[in-house]
Amino acid sequence: MTNPYQQSQQSQHGAAASNFTRRTSYASIVSGSQQQQQQQQQQQTATRSSALGFSHILDPNPDTELDTHNPYYPELDRLTPHYPNFTRNNIPTFGGAGMDMDAGYSSRNQNENGHNNNNTNSGPWPPPARLGSNFPMSRAFDMFLNKEPLSFPDAADADNATHKGTGAGANPFLSGGTTTNFLAPSYLRGTAYLTKLEEQHRARILAERERETGVPGAKTQARAGGLATNGNSHHTLSPMSGKVHAGGGSHRGVAFDVVEKSALSQGLAEEEVSPLPSRWNKDDREPSLELSGDGYEVTFTGRMSNDHEASAVRADHHMNPACGIYYFEITVLNKKKSSSDDMPPIAIGFSSQTAALNRAPGWEPESWGYHGDDGNCFAAQNVGKAYGPKFGPKDTVGCLINFRLGQAFFTKNGRELKVAFRDINFKDVKAGQLFPMVGLKKTGDHIWANFGQQPFMFDVDNYMRKQQKMIEDEINRIDTRILAPDLSETELVQQLVLQFLQHDGYVETARAFAEEIHAEKSALRLSSKEQVKGINIKDDEDAHNRQKIRRAILEGAIDLAMRYTEECYPNVLKENEQVYFRLRCRKFIEMIRKEAEINIKLEGRNRQLEEQRRKQGFGDNDEEMQDEWDDEREFYLEQLGKLSEEALVYGQELRAEFKNDPRKETAKYLDEIFSLIAYPNPLQVPEVSHLMDAKGRVAVAEELNSAILTSLGKSSRAALENVYAQTSVLLEDLAKDGGPGAFVTLEGIFKQIPPSQLL
Amino acid sequence: MSNWQAFQQGHLDPDFAFREHIFAQFRQAAQRQSQAGPMNSSTATAAPKHAFEVRLGDTKTPKNDINALILDYLTMEGYPGAAANFSKEANLAPQQEDPSIKTRQEIQHAIHSGDIETAITALNDLDPDILDKDPELHFSLLRLQLVELIRQCYGGDIGPALDFATQQVAPRASMNEQFRIDLERAMSLLFFDHDSKLSPELQALLSSDLRRKTATKVNEAVLVRQDQRREAAIRALVRMRAWAESSARSSKKKDLPSDLDIGLNGENAVEFQELTETNGHEPMITT
Repeated sequence: MTNPYQQSQQSQHGAAASNFTRRTSYASIVSGSQQQQQQQQQQQTATRSSALGFSHILDPNPDTELDTHNPYYPELDRLTPHYPNFTRNNIPTFGGAGMDMDAGYSSRNQNENGHNNNNTNSGPWPPPARLGSNFPMSRAFDMFLNKEPLSFPDAADADNATHKGTGAGANPFLSGGTTTNFLAPSYLRGTAYLTKLEEQHRARILAERERETGVPGAKTQARAGGLATNGNSHHTLSPMSGKVHAGGGSHRGVAFDVVEKSALSQGLAEEEVSPLPSRWNKDDREPSLELSGDGYEVTFTGRMSNDHEASAVRADHHMNPACGIYYFEITVLNKKKSSSDDMPPIAIGFSSQTAALNRAPGWEPESWGYHGDDGNCFAAQNVGKAYGPKFGPKDTVGCLINFRLGQAFFTKNGRELKVAFRDINFKDVKAGQLFPMVGLKKTGDHIWANFGQQPFMFDVDNYMRKQQKMIEDEINRIDTRILAPDLSETELVQQLVLQFLQHDGYVETARAFAEEIHAEKSALRLSSKEQVKGINIKDDEDAHNRQKIRRAILEGAIDLAMRYTEECYPNVLKENEQVYFRLRCRKFIEMIRKEAEINIKLEGRNRQLEEQRRKQGFGDNDEEMQDEWDDEREFYLEQLGKLSEEALVYGQELRAEFKNDPRKETAKYLDEIFSLIAYPNPLQVPEVSHLMDAKGRVAVAEELNSAILTSLGKSSRAALENVYAQTSVLLEDLAKDGGPGAFVTLEGIFKQIPPSQLL
Repeated sequence: MSNWQAFQQGHLDPDFAFREHIFAQFRQAAQRQSQAGPMNSSTATAAPKHAFEVRLGDTKTPKNDINALILDYLTMEGYPGAAANFSKEANLAPQQEDPSIKTRQEIQHAIHSGDIETAITALNDLDPDILDKDPELHFSLLRLQLVELIRQCYGGDIGPALDFATQQVAPRASMNEQFRIDLERAMSLLFFDHDSKLSPELQALLSSDLRRKTATKVNEAVLVRQDQRREAAIRALVRMRAWAESSARSSKKKDLPSDLDIGLNGENAVEFQELTETNGHEPMITT
């Protein structure tokens, strides 16, 4: 055996030790399985320090064992077949001569592997030329809608999934899972509306998950409870959680970013945003229309209608004006070839729910449409006006509504036609809601709709960019004097920055900045006789104290920060229980963090040694090196043992202290951070490493700083933060009803800044 | 005696008494509710807030973002001392390992001081192509230099200014109509008194704003040449704030407080104080 550590470990702890990792040990407490029960006593005290050090290092893939036993992610398996199988093979194609349309559709269910095939470019559906080969098709194909909500399998299914072995190590949240069944049309990416939708979607999945597991966070609670009470958790274990292998539950932590929501959407408060139209609505159609193909296709199956009748269907959701613009396309799939004077009477448009379904879009009040048989457009009346070309089989026609301008136009085969309707009174229609609509009339009329689940023919991304650019240009032309009449933009920015630095207690920076501004102003004098006003940096004790406390937290020295706070502001922690709680939790996190860092060091050292050994082979100095390394490892392990024991004790204290806290979030957060203990190296587990992110230090430090400021009777926000918050709320207002706020975001500004790193 | 009792005894108009009775019950209920409410009394006692204010309070202002914004500004606009201190105090890695921050600041300082020759030399050292590739920028600098020369020889020998204009500026001005107009305008400074009777256009040439604007232009050009953004993100934020308010107000329907203060004038306002030339920088910082 070439691996020395395994040997030494075996000698120390017996053969069993080399096989169990920390995770199994904690899971065993939860599950109480027999074999592991015997080891419990040992695990409670010594195991962490003994086994944790390197057993996971030896295991090249510590996840394998775990995940096959993890019943929580079989949805990976379960979901896959649900994906509408829109691989390229299944998309109607029009380029190939003599291609039988039906073939494209009947093959829909052939491909069980769903989205894995999305990345191939081999399908007969050629990407529109303008997209080029680098177009991120794979993402476009990712966003299939799943009619069924994410759900957990029952126990039997879980077992099945276990035996089959689910995708090991894959995390539905991280591996693009968040967007897997979420409709995200490319032109809306990055907008406040879509970001908010995405968050809602994520929250819904989580809620679903919690409902399935019974008690919120039962899994982690059970584990953490086991940690503290030796398996006699005061939480009822659901049958599910009894089987949980440690390490599974906290995947959900990813979406639980308790620290900060995205800057974009937080202004949108808790208001729900209506989802995008995603398919045709089977409950909102004229009966002679038949839906198929996951609700994207519509076929006319009735008898030929009267001249003044047609059959229409609306989409499942209305187009939210907060999108700014909305776009969808239909492709005519009629098999019969049509000459230009015999185009099928297919109409595309939009309407409120007032418009009758036995009439084509455009003929009724509150409905608008573009008709293929004559190329006319209709705005709420029987008489159309000449608008564009006729359209028919193999044509793709799109409809774009610009809510800001109150206008709509259509596209044909990717080409933009002129504006069809102006002054669309979309706020005045029934419920203020307009739905995509299509009207068919004759046997054989058959269309397929693209609500953004596929790349569009028309370059709507570019259109959106132009709209955004227009607003950005408008913003850049604004005179900031409306904010501060006496200050130029440069002076305003200087003062905002300086005031922020002083407010937040960045004393040295404020000083240096004031000096630099002073030097600048002195230089700008036209004559040396002019006087330059200096800046009075308030250098009070409070500013120093606050900076001292912040510094300590940013360096991870939570105890020190708490001591300073007690000394300088004895009431702050008493009066701000939440801040106190966050500090106490952060201390726990820092303990785990330190442990993880040593683990990484150890691992690195180990690898280095391996490498050396591999290169040199066994040599004379091998033994010497081995001894040296043994000593070093001994030292690390000792430290690790001490640390992990401390962390355990502290974790128990923490749980005891907040046991009676009635707030749900408290228990939830504790569960989350306690789950860290289940990982041999949580820093390397993306699902939980965010909990330990150094950014968390900033959040805690600033929460405390705000509390201190408030206790001193000062505003907890600097002017710059007011600017930020006001902009956020104003933009939200401006985005409603299709205002210009839909086209810009704060995030758009912040993402330009190269990411700065915490040291 | 309560109103209710007064009514029962026939002293009061029934409508009034009934109303008062109901109101009293409301008041009591309201009082009970506020007493039973959350103990953090800061919100309980505050005057009713405008809905907009409440939403502002609910909006988080992520410090990570704000810190990034500050560091970005200090770095891009050339405040190396403050940037270094901020990196330290906020525990941030410096945004860029960009040695040009110091040079850019020196160039800006030279332009601010009216020492255009030094600025041009430093600029050419930093990036030999920048002025050749950007005739407009070069012309801006030369015109500023001319204005500075005219300022210096005001009331004295105008020879140096004339020489500079004919030798350095005029050949370039012939390339471009706007350059020619700008040159003529600058030259007319030679023939007027530099006092309040000057036309606003000419006064603008003599103002320190011209130095500041030129310096900003140069700084942006250098940043763009280094494939960086043109300006600090904080400017976009401030403009977006101004635009958002004016758009919201012009659309009228929005429920906005009449005055939306950004809070630069409060207790935390930046304080300026008079300094005399002799005591220089030190007393600027008082404790």
